Amino acid sequence: MIVSVKNLVKRYDDILALDHLSLTVNDGEIFGLLGPNGSGKTTAINCILSLLKYDKGEIEIFGQSMRPEAYDVKRNIGVVMQNVAVYNELTVQENIDYFCGLYVPDKRLRKELVTEAIDFVGLHEFSSYYPKKLSGGLLRRLNIACGIAHKPKLIILDEPTVAVDPQSRNKILEGILELNKKGATIIYTSHYMEEVEQICSRIMIIDKGRAIATGTKEELKAMITMGEKITVESQRITETQLNQLRRLPSIVSADYKNKLLIIKSSKGSNNLETVLEFFKTENIQFGKIYSELPTLNDVFLEITGKQLRD
Amino acid sequence: MSTHVFVNRLKCLLRDKETIFWTMLFPLLLAIFFNVAFANINSGEAFQAIGLAVVNNSSFQNDQALQTALTEASTGKQKLFELTLTSQDKAEQLLTEQKISGYLLIDKEPVLVVRKAGIRESIIKSFLDSYLQTMASVNTILQSKPKNPALLLNSVGQPQNYVTEVPGTTAEPNSILLFFYTLIAMACFYGGFWGMREVTDIQANLSPLAARINISPQHKLKTFLSSLSASLLIHFTEMLILLLFLRYVLQIEFGAKTGYVILTTALGSLAGISYGAFISALVKKSENVKVAILIGSTMFGSFFAGMMVQNIKYIVSQKFPLLAYINPVNLLTDAFYSLYYYDTLSRYVLNISLLGIMTIVFCLGTYVIIRGRKYASL
Ligand SMILES: Nc1ncnc2c1ncn2[C@@H]1O[C@H](COP(=O)(O)OP(=O)(O)OP(=O)(O)O)[C@@H](O)[C@H]1O
Ligand SMILES: [Mg+2]
Repeated sequence: MIVSVKNLVKRYDDILALDHLSLTVNDGEIFGLLGPNGSGKTTAINCILSLLKYDKGEIEIFGQSMRPEAYDVKRNIGVVMQNVAVYNELTVQENIDYFCGLYVPDKRLRKELVTEAIDFVGLHEFSSYYPKKLSGGLLRRLNIACGIAHKPKLIILDEPTVAVDPQSRNKILEGILELNKKGATIIYTSHYMEEVEQICSRIMIIDKGRAIATGTKEELKAMITMGEKITVESQRITETQLNQLRRLPSIVSADYKNKLLIIKSSKGSNNLETVLEFFKTENIQFGKIYSELPTLNDVFLEITGKQLRD
Repeated sequence: MSTHVFVNRLKCLLRDKETIFWTMLFPLLLAIFFNVAFANINSGEAFQAIGLAVVNNSSFQNDQALQTALTEASTGKQKLFELTLTSQDKAEQLLTEQKISGYLLIDKEPVLVVRKAGIRESIIKSFLDSYLQTMASVNTILQSKPKNPALLLNSVGQPQNYVTEVPGTTAEPNSILLFFYTLIAMACFYGGFWGMREVTDIQANLSPLAARINISPQHKLKTFLSSLSASLLIHFTEMLILLLFLRYVLQIEFGAKTGYVILTTALGSLAGISYGAFISALVKKSENVKVAILIGSTMFGSFFAGMMVQNIKYIVSQKFPLLAYINPVNLLTDAFYSLYYYDTLSRYVLNISLLGIMTIVFCLGTYVIIRGRKYASL
């Protein structure tokens, strides 16, 4: 076990930011912490890192209890914070070297590590640039390089792709997978379910500081009653027809809005067939029709009754 | 002490153009500005004669001794007064228009009329007091029938008695020096910008950069001290450059005690940096508010140390002596001032001790606030 958090409670004055949060991260995982804005992801990360005081709970990393003075533990952690944190007066290369130097005193070894990190995030041609001259996406990549240049065993990334162009985003996600392949355990927070689904081997969904579900994405999707989402473009559907639809076996819900009919069905096959049958007998005209498997958003929606992202 | 942190910090700070401007170029520009503004005063008499009117009534006409004393004091190269004989109405008008600092009305006794309390007014007053006292003694002595009464009268109107109020050194009184001493003091306290940056860059609740440092396997205070050393070195160097510029380019005198002058500058620099650090640690407001507090308080301190209006320093030390002792800018100014004007070190030591105590308070206060390694919120 790499990280173990038990019953973490954190209050900011009267805001309960973490409510008995427990989690474990195993060796070699990409552990995703998925939750909407303000759900407590950053707070959890900062508590784990011993930056924040907390009201209750136990935190162990690499089997040792985590404290600000646990330098042996800290030496093996790399963090990419949500906010970009680099020196404006140092170049790309100098920034990475500076932060790497806080972990790796040996100059020769560091030089190699810095070059490797620069190549890793693809900032080679910008290595003598000052941060001000970098675009948002490149700046994020520098921020990542500063956090991981020392080749830590545990890498924590707090929403590293916020406000990043798709090209940089893909590069970042690929990079994380690569780091993981090379042996690093990863904690990844995000409120983008697509990203989390794409790279995480295990996911915890949190809301209001509480863990609401944990597991692989398949396990999470298996937790809910909805098995399939069928969307139908149709010009006219009456309220009676809608109610009839809802009464069909295996249909969980049916809603008609903006000429789009959205039907959620429970698990099992033949759902699409049932719907098409109904359309035929009712003689309803329809355009496009498609069916999707549930997303993590549907998981979140079903458990909390609200959208993951608004 | 971490050389890695120190060296990189030096690099970083030396490239921080904005702070370099405020801590180094701004004081130099002010110095040049002062120098131009005071060029005429400097090249003329060291002391500008004080405008004084005397109401030319019969009492004055009859007071031979006072006439002699005033004539003595208002002639020659080192004259104390620019004397005008006039009517009372005219004198009143001159005073209102600030053409003169005061006027004398001789009735049974000479009466001094002034509009405000400043150095000039005080000099007239002490001239008059001194004259009256001397006359009283002269009268007493005359009653005891001395051999040479004329000699006695000669001692009544000596201008240097009032201007050269300082015992001991051969130093020449030069009011302009005070402006430059306050300027150095101000520049020392602008070192607060460096101190402020140091605290911002080590407190994780003040900057994301500091959070990065806090999660690294480095001792927080050790890192802070290494980083702070870079600030101290840079600011002290800036202050030495300012001193050299003042001394050798603008030819400002600092007296003979060079070692003490440098020591004072070093302490001033430390005081300024720790002051900024303390503000940054103590004030739970935005960076802009902190900068405003630093600039505001330093300017306020400089003003009451006599930077803009010289009389202020005098008034403060007369009317609000406590303010003079708790104003660190004034303490530093006065330390330079007393190194130049006094042979003995007692006044200097008083200033430096008070400043030292304040610096210790700033340092301890900063330490107490930043020593924690976990934060209630970020
Ligand atoms: N410094 C603070 N003081 C008071 N409340 C805070 C502070 N930081 C966070 N909070 C509150 O704690 C809760 C959790 O915030 P946190 O930043 O951990 O969420 P998050 O999941 O990281 O959100 P985001 O996706 O926006 O980064 C929120 O309700 C937030 O308003
Ligand atoms: Mg966050």
